Amino acid sequence: MAIIPALNEEETVADVVRSVRGHLDADVLVIDDGSRDRTTERAAAAGATVLRHPFNLGVGAALRTGFRYAQSHGYDAAVQIDADGQHEVTEAKRLADAVAAGADLVVGSRFEAGFETSRLRRISMRLLSRRISRYLGVTITDTTSGFRGFGPVAIERFAGAYPRAYLSDTVEALMIAGDWGLQVEEIPVRMLPRQGGQPSAGTAKSVYHLLRLSLVIALHRVRRPLYVRGTDP
Amino acid sequence: MNLQIFVIGLGIAMLIFVIEVVRRRRLSEGYALLWIAVGIGGVLLGVARPLIDRFSDSLGVSYGANLVFAFVFVFLIVVSINLSMHVSKLEDQVSSLAEELALVRGPQGGSAGADDDARPGGHPDTDDGV
Repeated sequence: MAIIPALNEEETVADVVRSVRGHLDADVLVIDDGSRDRTTERAAAAGATVLRHPFNLGVGAALRTGFRYAQSHGYDAAVQIDADGQHEVTEAKRLADAVAAGADLVVGSRFEAGFETSRLRRISMRLLSRRISRYLGVTITDTTSGFRGFGPVAIERFAGAYPRAYLSDTVEALMIAGDWGLQVEEIPVRMLPRQGGQPSAGTAKSVYHLLRLSLVIALHRVRRPLYVRGTDP
Repeated sequence: MNLQIFVIGLGIAMLIFVIEVVRRRRLSEGYALLWIAVGIGGVLLGVARPLIDRFSDSLGVSYGANLVFAFVFVFLIVVSINLSMHVSKLEDQVSSLAEELALVRGPQGGSAGADDDARPGGHPDTDDGV
């Protein structure tokens, strides 16, 4: 199934849902993460199953909801796609194929596409890539990509524990997958220009998030494992 | 001198404590960053005592420690206000969650046919009680 976390994406979500249904032959689940616009209505009208958070919880929480739905409804593969139309849906098929070929977690890397960003972002992404690749023993160039494929084991495990905070939902999730011994892969994907909505974060905020993430990464190995639900006392 | 060592020790103890509670996942990393910064600030204060004295002299504050107290006081008020804002937001969210839950559970007891539809906590699509 396709899991599409969406926040205030009424302009683009319907097109994304339709194009996923057209290209991927998969059920589409949109998690409306507390939108104040008509995201839910537009997504549902385009044929998606829509789950709605009562208020904004972040992409990580939206994915968690998605994994739990996918797990309880017996889906054994999931592709995470952005609702803003930047992820080219034809590329989602390649993520799904890599999952079908046995990978547990497939990251779609945006770098091949000449992905343009600020200098701070570029430098930090390179450092993150080096750190995470060393941790996993697999080269991941685009650790913060939200264009990903998940196999059955990843769905089941992540349904029980998925990091919620911004950046943790992408980067820390990779480390957690590594801890579980999941097979993590990366494939290059093409991207489309943004069709609507606003890009995230100013500089001060980015620095804060990066510091936060550095703390997460530095402590990861010695930390108690993350439990969302389960048997943690 | 003894005071300096005490302040440095306090800063280090605080750092260790904060990192330990993050390690146990009892404190989120965002708040931890704040308190780690405070711990480091404490250690620096202990190390840079002469600098504080000179700075307070230039501001016309006769005793350096008073200046530090003033700063710490303002800082703690800012933190408290910030925490009150967070608590307010949490209150709103809890309320909204409880309202949603009431709607999901549907009409309770009494009303005709409610027994079949209104199982407590029984939304048809969720098998895990949420």
